[in-house]
Amino acid sequence: MTALLQAELIKLRTTRTFLALTAAAVGTSLLITVLVSTLSEPDADSVLTDVFTSDTSSLFITILAVVGITGEWRHHTITSSLLAAPDRLRFLAAKTIAFATAGVVLSLLISITVLVVGLAILNVRDLPVPEAGDLLERFARNAFVAGLLGAFGVGIGALVRNQVVAVVGLLVLGFAVDPAVAALVPEVGRFSPFSALPVAITDIRPEDAGLPDDLDLLSPGIALLAMLAWIGAAFAAGAALLIRRDLD
Amino acid sequence: MAAVEIDGLSKRFGAVQAVSDMSFEVNAGRVTGFLGPNGAGKSTTLRCLLGLIHADRGSGTFGGKRYEELEHPSGHVGAVLENASFHPGRSGRNHLRVLATAGRHSPDRVPELLEQVGLTAAADRRVKGYSMGMRQRLAIAAALLGDPKVLILDEPTNGLDPPGIRWVRDLLRAEAARGRAVLVSSHLLSEVEQSVDEVVVIAKGVMRASGPIERVLGGGGEPIARVRSADSERLAGLLRERGIAVDGQTGDLLLVHGVSPEAVGEVAAEHRVVLRELGVQTRSLEEAFFELTEHGV
Repeated sequence: MTALLQAELIKLRTTRTFLALTAAAVGTSLLITVLVSTLSEPDADSVLTDVFTSDTSSLFITILAVVGITGEWRHHTITSSLLAAPDRLRFLAAKTIAFATAGVVLSLLISITVLVVGLAILNVRDLPVPEAGDLLERFARNAFVAGLLGAFGVGIGALVRNQVVAVVGLLVLGFAVDPAVAALVPEVGRFSPFSALPVAITDIRPEDAGLPDDLDLLSPGIALLAMLAWIGAAFAAGAALLIRRDLD
Repeated sequence: MAAVEIDGLSKRFGAVQAVSDMSFEVNAGRVTGFLGPNGAGKSTTLRCLLGLIHADRGSGTFGGKRYEELEHPSGHVGAVLENASFHPGRSGRNHLRVLATAGRHSPDRVPELLEQVGLTAAADRRVKGYSMGMRQRLAIAAALLGDPKVLILDEPTNGLDPPGIRWVRDLLRAEAARGRAVLVSSHLLSEVEQSVDEVVVIAKGVMRASGPIERVLGGGGEPIARVRSADSERLAGLLRERGIAVDGQTGDLLLVHGVSPEAVGEVAAEHRVVLRELGVQTRSLEEAFFELTEHGV
């Protein structure tokens, strides 16, 4: 399993897609932090949420994971991957862990970048800065959520297989269907794996994440269990398809 | 025990019976050609053998174990499949690094094999810039990473130029000489006839023949005597009187089916017919191959 995981991490690091999406994730997070910390006047109560919740790793790692697994079919590398490691369940498990790891690393990279730049700007403007403990907790929660969404993206990609359909479908779900469901059917929307559950695990208010103010989020612990259930379901369905499928 | 054993393998895709009750063996130290026209079922058979396609019936095993049951699969079997594909944005070196890591092979094998297949200079270029021949060489390098005991190559000469084809032939012979079992598929007999010891001929998913190439393709059918005589008309008549079929008659040349040249000579001597030539009509390998597979084309 270790060898498979290492191989998946090498795959991740050796394409430009990974570098481009990582740069995009860091860049957008940094841009939001710079704009907010430069243009707004956060007080001691709001500075943590206003300046340091700009981590876009969740979006990008989900896309990256979907691209990573669907790319195996798009480029037919699934054949050589399964010749090297014919146990299909282990292959999918290794890819899931690899993208979960990548999500954590990407989020931490963003956190460090945002921390350095955000604190520098706040200090220059002589504005209040958050408590170190609060910052660490926020960054840890962000990293945890990014890891969960990296794993979830692999499950989705294993199910859909077509790269374009998977990525476009993901964006439509995340940016159109999900907010609509949260607004129209909040009792269903609070279980969304793309917005409500990550927001609940991160323990921020729904309005700070662009969700309806009155959305009754689950507690972080329950949200984590619900998110793990989503990941488990996607992984199980993706694995069942992969195991059954002929690679011709 | 055979290095590779395919036993009663069958696979259907919808209405198409791709492979039907296929059985043959591949032995160590031998190069076995797996021959048949395009669409004959060669790739499906190989993919079933490698666990990539689920067979409906039968099995493909390596020393009695299915591919996925082998303790170290890519260390035991190296495979180059048709349409070998690579991530276009990954370099040749990184492609091999990924497979070496996943297959638990020494990372030192990567530069060794890049050197062996002549890709050292291009190793750090992205694969999308590789020619078809370079991609085939990279696929072969990947198959050799684990120094496998069994080598399976599906149409390995596709896209290769003549020096590349010769290189593959030499590689097949060299691997067999090292005691490796080599199974190589092709739809072109001419590309493998110089390097194979045994052949398995298939068409429409059905095995037509198997065995040493000389026996299978070298005139295993009824004998054909080739005879020239100034009095060929009379000789043909004499042979037909004895119930011997004379199918081909062109000028002074007769092709006599079903009898040896000696028997034709005896008839000619008995009736004092002067012969200018008497021998065995040999079929070319290509002709024999076509005869075996023509009903499947």
